[in-house]
Amino acid sequence: MFTSTTFDILWQRDVQLLFLDGLRVTLELFALSAVAAYALGALLAALHFAGAFCSGLVQAFVGYHRNVPAIVQLMVWYFGVPQAFPASWTGWTDAHLSGFFYAVVALSLNAAAYISEDLRSGFRAVSHGQYEAARALGLGYVATLKLVLMPQAARAALPALVNQALSLFKATSLAMAIGVADVMYIARQVDGATYATFASYLVPTVLYLICTLTLMACGSWLHTRLSAR
Amino acid sequence: MKRLISAILFGLLMAGTASADQLADIKARNTLVCGVFGDLVPLGFEDPATRKPVGFDVDICSEIAGSLGVKLQISTVSVAARIPAVSAGRVDVVAAALGYTPERAKQIDFSSAYYQTPIPVLVKKDGPYRTFADLRGKKVSAIRASTPELFARQTLKNTEIITFDDGPAAYLALQQNKVQGMAISQGAAVGFRNRSEGSIVFMNEVLHWEPECIGVKKGETALLEAVNRALDKLESSGRLQQIWDKWFGPETEYKLTRERKVTSLAQFQSE
Amino acid sequence: MLDILERFGLSLLIGQFPHGPLGGIALTLAMSATALVLAFPLAILVALAREATWRPVRRAAAVYVYAVRGIPLLLLIFWAYFVLPLLTGLDAPASVTVVAALVVYQGAYLGEAIRGAIRALPPGQAEAARALGLGYWRTIYWVILPQALFNCLPSIVNQFILLVKDTSLAYIVGAHEATFAATQINAQLLTKPLQVYVILAGIYFLLCYTLSRLSRMLERRVVRRRARPAASQPSFSEASA
Repeated sequence: MFTSTTFDILWQRDVQLLFLDGLRVTLELFALSAVAAYALGALLAALHFAGAFCSGLVQAFVGYHRNVPAIVQLMVWYFGVPQAFPASWTGWTDAHLSGFFYAVVALSLNAAAYISEDLRSGFRAVSHGQYEAARALGLGYVATLKLVLMPQAARAALPALVNQALSLFKATSLAMAIGVADVMYIARQVDGATYATFASYLVPTVLYLICTLTLMACGSWLHTRLSAR
Repeated sequence: MKRLISAILFGLLMAGTASADQLADIKARNTLVCGVFGDLVPLGFEDPATRKPVGFDVDICSEIAGSLGVKLQISTVSVAARIPAVSAGRVDVVAAALGYTPERAKQIDFSSAYYQTPIPVLVKKDGPYRTFADLRGKKVSAIRASTPELFARQTLKNTEIITFDDGPAAYLALQQNKVQGMAISQGAAVGFRNRSEGSIVFMNEVLHWEPECIGVKKGETALLEAVNRALDKLESSGRLQQIWDKWFGPETEYKLTRERKVTSLAQFQSE
Repeated sequence: MLDILERFGLSLLIGQFPHGPLGGIALTLAMSATALVLAFPLAILVALAREATWRPVRRAAAVYVYAVRGIPLLLLIFWAYFVLPLLTGLDAPASVTVVAALVVYQGAYLGEAIRGAIRALPPGQAEAARALGLGYWRTIYWVILPQALFNCLPSIVNQFILLVKDTSLAYIVGAHEATFAATQINAQLLTKPLQVYVILAGIYFLLCYTLSRLSRMLERRVVRRRARPAASQPSFSEASA
């Protein structure tokens, strides 16, 4: 029992390297998913204005991703989707892509759904006059969206968007269930090999706290900068 | 005189608390809590028709409970949680393809080995991998914190080992070509191979021959002796062979022979 | 897929009960409900502590909220399941430890929701209560909390929906809820993960979608009630009678 609470493993070089690798994977997962999620989320939010059918599709997409747990979404992607495609297609994807790819896909789609909803609320906060003025100035439909409405919606929805970034960062921990060697996976691996349970789970706790507090600080910095106007 | 009495009292107190006798507890509550797998055929799994836990290890547990004269309560454990479960006292004993390693022996106590299995690697039948050298630079799946993972890392030096939380996930990864091999203990391996409809086969080499034992909390000598006595009795009465044949024998899909009978720990501790 | 539902439907619904512990969807709902009920008092305490006048209390509550919100729920579950028994010597089945982790988690999130609702109340409420001579705790209990809790009722239902989704993580530590039941079915079938996991997704979708409709209904009633002019609110007419 005593061995389970020792911290000796923390001073071992190979364990430290393992955790650093895990941190790198976590950050890569987060960065790629975030870029894809915000881009897709903006696109989905914009699609709401493209007619009833598009809006309905987006609503179905959002409805699925908000009502199904993220881990189940991950499992559907990683285990379920390859079954649906013939071996010739999946041969290439399985040989070259792996848990990491599916994790990015699942996490970014999940986050995009929430982001699009936040942006939608943001749109509601932008007064209709902005849209009318932009059109009066001769801006096309897409240009209006891109240059006038979206930035304002994003600014209105900033706290929610920052929260989504936080959620996405924490959600990367779920990728450990599909074999992605992120910080959580490494923690379990180290625990399994050394039985130093307390130390193994202390490291990811500290790492996550550092990263999320940094994210929160960035968020509030963004907030003060953008609402100074 | 006073110091002598207090020393005796102190000694009695410590003796009482030092080894809270788990065997006595088990007899007092008339139940043996046994940790087995919940999702690994044929060791421990849920019978879809009756929704009861069944399997080789379930039967072994019920025999041990019977020999202790108590009722059996099955508690499912995941591979990674076997040792923590018995250390924390969540289960009294764990019978779940628990391989003996000196590392693990520091955490918990092991009974005699009630069977020994090779640890094979499964691969796709129509793949090019036949020997371990072929797996260089490739990926092999295993269950997290299992001995197949340990031996895979030791033996397959240039292969990436990807661990999953449960057997079916590791198997699916192989079936969907996300990995090129799967390292898992013999019993479960045969189960997966037989249900793979011919697409999965064994490699020619095995990673290790491993004694599988029952796990007991460290220091519970009375319980350990009772379990070892039960295992010896099972062996000598032939009942262990019967249970083996029921799940792995010639009548089943596995047709495995049980090499090496119940072996006491001392015999392979020096290996 | 229908044959999977037929064969394993009962297992998905209630797990191994009565041959074993309760499982499946029944356990999912039981865990979520228990976690919400237990998190409630904790959340109220956290909300009050965050608004307290005494700085150490405010600081402590803020640390709690930031710490819990800063780590993934999965990590919290691992702490509760693996580390806590080592430190305290207590052992509990997986579902109990997961509920404990969820209570700690929701204590922070629900606490923030209640705190938001308290802050959104017109300050006149608290002032009037003090003017009438009600002490701090009386004010909280009779004036502030009833209104705040009513106003954040939709949030509370939303947190319940989140809880239902969060219980899906419990399968990793072996609790027999719906996701675990699905992995067990997967272990039986082996070649049909798509069907099994699509069914699982469908189950969660039905559960959560129904609950979110309920939440929207509640939200409409709350909005209607809040829109009513203050003079007709009962708590005041009683106090001045």
